[in-house]
Amino acid sequence: MEEEGRPLLSSQHAADSPQASAGSVDARAKRPFYVEPRNIVDHDPQERISAEAAILNSRLHYYSRLTGSSDPLLSPPNHVVPQPEEIYIYSPLGIAFKIPEGDQTSKNSSLISIFAIWNTMMGTSILSIPWGIKQAGFTLGVVILVLTGLLTLYCCYIVLKSPRTIKSVDTTDWEFPDVCRHYFGKFGQWSSLLFSLVSLLGAMVVYWVLMSNFLFNTGQFIYNQAHNINVSDSQFGNNGSDQVICPYPVIHPEGDDCGSGGGDAGNDISFGRYWSKTNTVPLYLIVLLLPLLSFRSASFFARFTFLGTISVVYLIVLVTIKAVRLGFHLEFHWFDPTHFYVPEFRALFPQLTGVLTLAFFIHNCIITLMKNNKHQENNVRDLSVAYLLVGLTYLYVGVLIFGSFPSPPLVKDCIQPNFLDNFPSNDVLVFVARMCLLFQMVTVYPMLGYLVRVQVMGQFFGNHYPSFFHVLVLNIFIVGLGVLMAKFYPNIGSIIRFSGAICGLALVFVFPALVHMIPLKREGRLTWLSAVLHSFLIVIGVANVVAQFLM
Amino acid sequence: MSNTAMKKKVLLMGKSGSGKTSMRSIIFANYIARDTRRLGATIDVEHSHVRFLGNLVLNLWDCGGQDTFMENYFTSQRDNIFRNVEVLIYVFDVESRELEKDMHYYQSCLEAILQNSPDAKVFCLVHKMDLVQEDQRDLIFKEREEDLKRLSRPLACTCFRTSIWDETLYKAWSSIVYQLIPNVQQLETNLRNFAQIIEADEVLLFERATFLVISHYQCKEQRDAHRFEKISNIIKQFKLSCSKLAASFQSMEVRNSNFAAFIDVFTSNTYVMVIMSDPSIPSAATLINIRNARKHFEKLERVDGPKHSLHMRMR
Repeated sequence: MEEEGRPLLSSQHAADSPQASAGSVDARAKRPFYVEPRNIVDHDPQERISAEAAILNSRLHYYSRLTGSSDPLLSPPNHVVPQPEEIYIYSPLGIAFKIPEGDQTSKNSSLISIFAIWNTMMGTSILSIPWGIKQAGFTLGVVILVLTGLLTLYCCYIVLKSPRTIKSVDTTDWEFPDVCRHYFGKFGQWSSLLFSLVSLLGAMVVYWVLMSNFLFNTGQFIYNQAHNINVSDSQFGNNGSDQVICPYPVIHPEGDDCGSGGGDAGNDISFGRYWSKTNTVPLYLIVLLLPLLSFRSASFFARFTFLGTISVVYLIVLVTIKAVRLGFHLEFHWFDPTHFYVPEFRALFPQLTGVLTLAFFIHNCIITLMKNNKHQENNVRDLSVAYLLVGLTYLYVGVLIFGSFPSPPLVKDCIQPNFLDNFPSNDVLVFVARMCLLFQMVTVYPMLGYLVRVQVMGQFFGNHYPSFFHVLVLNIFIVGLGVLMAKFYPNIGSIIRFSGAICGLALVFVFPALVHMIPLKREGRLTWLSAVLHSFLIVIGVANVVAQFLM
Repeated sequence: MSNTAMKKKVLLMGKSGSGKTSMRSIIFANYIARDTRRLGATIDVEHSHVRFLGNLVLNLWDCGGQDTFMENYFTSQRDNIFRNVEVLIYVFDVESRELEKDMHYYQSCLEAILQNSPDAKVFCLVHKMDLVQEDQRDLIFKEREEDLKRLSRPLACTCFRTSIWDETLYKAWSSIVYQLIPNVQQLETNLRNFAQIIEADEVLLFERATFLVISHYQCKEQRDAHRFEKISNIIKQFKLSCSKLAASFQSMEVRNSNFAAFIDVFTSNTYVMVIMSDPSIPSAATLINIRNARKHFEKLERVDGPKHSLHMRMR
């Protein structure tokens, strides 16, 4: 069908994609098709079906003879077929019953929607929150966390209500990139796609680095247990049963990434050669993950989303246990740096904002997530509650790890971008956490790869799976990126803050601000205050990105 | 003079994708093979040998497609296409956002008609109206109708709003056929007399190729307002099945204890359907009555003749 223009009434026009007939999701084809119960013997004045339904039935019978069965040309569009409430199913025994209402689109209660948002937002950035707080200083870090949460919540609220500002078209199945396309044309569509890809690729690279890390530590743990090796003396850490270590005891005055090189295993040289965090383990992962990425559909992996929830809950429990055992070590030095502690206000705070932009990022799919909320009028309230819970979770983990980090023997500066790195590989609780996260990431990684494939292939080739070769090239590129990062720059804190700031620039700050201002300006309802504040949002977004490069 | 040798045409025109092929398929019970549609614009170069109203041939053209091949072919063959046209049916897609372009192409078709077949009747169908919200349909159709009537001067055009998903398509084409039958009022009077003589409940006159109801007589109120379209659909499906066996349909009798229905060939352009609710009247009686009436109606058609022979006499 030619794209001559927008329809006056958005109808689900005949599914043009060839995949539609292949999949079983085309509900129209499966819609019940009643047989008109004609009683030609009795002059029964009571018609059991309406006249319109009867004639529609006659038309459908006839039209179905005119084309092939899989041809959607003469297939009834959704607005023509009666509503589910009006359709009865007749059994041969004479009883009739209605289709149960709303079996096509199930509606979720508020609690489920809130949980879905929390679950989707909780990502691996939780591991970097303590490091981020450390980079910003404790007080400033907490303040920034709260402020960033509120700011991203507001931008998310704009994104959520943006389709309703478009009155000329029916936008019921639009996502935020579609809204951008409406306002900014092709540029909007392409740039929102590009920035969304930045966040996805950033997440995938982080996943690869973390998976290498966890696999390495798991292997290390198993090896040490098997060979009964005690590594606690060889690492710089505090004494006692709950050991916290500083993996790279070289002290940098700026306290920035100490993630280069290193990571080789303990005593046994030959094992260390074959099982190295940066040299070999990332490559072993290729064998496992590259085939998983080539799966045509990711629905298999969607069953494992519960692993993510379990991992986060376990992390929270782990953090609580560690904090209870280690106790709090907090001293407030406001501006001057000390040996063991960090100032409360530091100039490196943009690193935290970068991490938090990705930590609070859900703007590209919030509309879809909220669509199935049963009481749509509560959307804003539910979104706010979800953000509150997410913020509290991050705050809890960040504050507890930072607070309980044993500072007298160790420096606060040692908090790693992945706080699990601060625990030795023989710690059982942490070992379990690493295993859980490893499993979870192995199942989420192919889903992320699927999303990247769908967006890239869909835009360039119009087909989600043009050929095995195309998909293989894309997968090799993605995996290659991950392996390179794992080998040469495995600092997940930096990867997260850069990708967070860059994708947040477009999808969190600039586009929502513009999408809010433009319809108001067209209607002449844009106040000076609103314009200034929203332009300031754009400035914040740009400053966020620039600061990542400067600091 | 040479016009009488050539068949008169019905042109079905409109922009590519406006729904002409679907419309033709539904009205004339043609099977649409999926492959032919994928070729893009309808390349209906050959005459489609559908005998419509006896001596008319239906031609389907895409007017205003982007295909340059079609454009060139169209402009070079213009006179050929628009000569000897009895009826022009132009289809507008109500969804189209290029109203200026649509009107432009329509006007160029009208110019060609004025030059080559100035006596042709012009009908405009505003199609796909099911895509417009119900409360806006009348308004939008009225707007289009005014524009089209204004643009069509000096020719007079009749406008209909249609959709394949309601009864408007069937009714529009029935009205078109009604206006094309030369002596339709006389036919109706005779039909009424015929029905009263044979004591039928209802008598319908259908066009032969499309089973569009040209005229009907009923002696009492009938329940189902959509019965004409339903019968048309049923018979067209039956014709499709017959054609698969290379058989053709001629007549049918359906009878039970409450009624008897007879469908039979009537004149060269029409079919008749007679419904008798008195089961005591034997079939043979009704069939003889229909046969005798047939002779009478054929005489009617021959005397007043189709239009082109009328032209001959006046010259």
